[in-house]
Amino acid sequence: MEKYLNSPIKELISRFPKLADILNEYNIGCVPCSVGSCLLKDVVGIHNLPEDEEQELMGRIAGVVYPDKDIRIPKIARKNRVSKELKYSPPIKRLVDEHILIKKFLALVPWIIENMDLKSDKWRRLILDGADFIRGYADKYHHAKEEDILFKYFDENLDIIKTMLADHKTGRDHVKALIEAVEKQDPKRLAEHLNGYKELLAEHIKKEDEILYPWIDRGLSVTQVGGLFAKFNDADEKQGKGVQERYEKFVMKAERIAKGKNQKF
Amino acid sequence: MDGCPGSRMQDFRKKPEGAHDESGKRASQLAQWPIQLHLISPMAPYYQKADVLLSADCVAYAAGDFHKDYLKGKSIAIGCPKLDEGQDEYVEKIKSLIDDAKINTLTVMTMQVPCCAGLVATAEEALRSAKRKIPIKSIVLTLQGDVLSEEWVS
Repeated sequence: MEKYLNSPIKELISRFPKLADILNEYNIGCVPCSVGSCLLKDVVGIHNLPEDEEQELMGRIAGVVYPDKDIRIPKIARKNRVSKELKYSPPIKRLVDEHILIKKFLALVPWIIENMDLKSDKWRRLILDGADFIRGYADKYHHAKEEDILFKYFDENLDIIKTMLADHKTGRDHVKALIEAVEKQDPKRLAEHLNGYKELLAEHIKKEDEILYPWIDRGLSVTQVGGLFAKFNDADEKQGKGVQERYEKFVMKAERIAKGKNQKF
Repeated sequence: MDGCPGSRMQDFRKKPEGAHDESGKRASQLAQWPIQLHLISPMAPYYQKADVLLSADCVAYAAGDFHKDYLKGKSIAIGCPKLDEGQDEYVEKIKSLIDDAKINTLTVMTMQVPCCAGLVATAEEALRSAKRKIPIKSIVLTLQGDVLSEEWVS
């Protein structure tokens, strides 16, 4: 079993497809992950399941991997096993709050795809403003805090960090492609990349809010929490005042248009 | 069992096995003097950019490993939110720790008795009136020294 605990999760799922359903049952969302290089032991450890649930999960995994053997399941080493209730430290809470605005924008994507008219100036403007939101807020304002500050507290070779960085890069590729699609007035390609970005970020945010951030919070010392908080303040100040407000205004305006409350683009 | 939980008599003399193990000796982790909130100066060097522990007086008597688990690596100030006079000065002192000493974090340790929550409220009031913002953590102990709750409050 030790050998499989140290195997990348994607490899295990390909070899033992039944594991996908088992992991899904425990809300371990590795199946759609674009990288999948996390080791099974890390995947189980990072999800912080209650001890009995973790033993049950490992028993079921062992049942799939070794159907004819009675396998002894080693315990996954854990620094702190804490309550599943999500209570973030102040700097991590700030990142979670920024996700709320990004999720509001993502919720508008189906409406944009359904109604967009690339021959119309106002629609092109709205979509390019959306691309500016993704680049200026979701990426420069939010992801930069992770890449330049938060992830520096960890080994950037950790699979979970590499997965997040890969998601950021894929998101940038989608935005580049969707801007090109607006310029070429190609609605099919635009829809493909808008939707691709929406799917990617929705899953990415869920992974961060429910798995990565709680795991990070469990490992941060009080001193590190204070340091992160101060560095996030500095980062926001460097970006200039009003970034949050400016992009909130954009999302609110787009929401009003989507609800038909303000026909003016 | 009626009356104020803060002053109600309770007897904990019967301890579980192992609770009286006195082997080994611990060094004090106190790295400063004075510690009482009225007496401290926020300008003292040990407060500058420090992680500060603001502890209710009774906490150190309840927590068996107060020095090792909570005081180590931190600067401290203590007070009683129920009995101390001049608590407006406490707000000003904590505000000065935040703005002038530019402390990194504030951890407020209190007992589970209701009157003790006043110390967290005092810290939050100081934070609201300060120019800088810092993370504040609240740790509440049971009367027998176990952690009842531990959470970031702002």
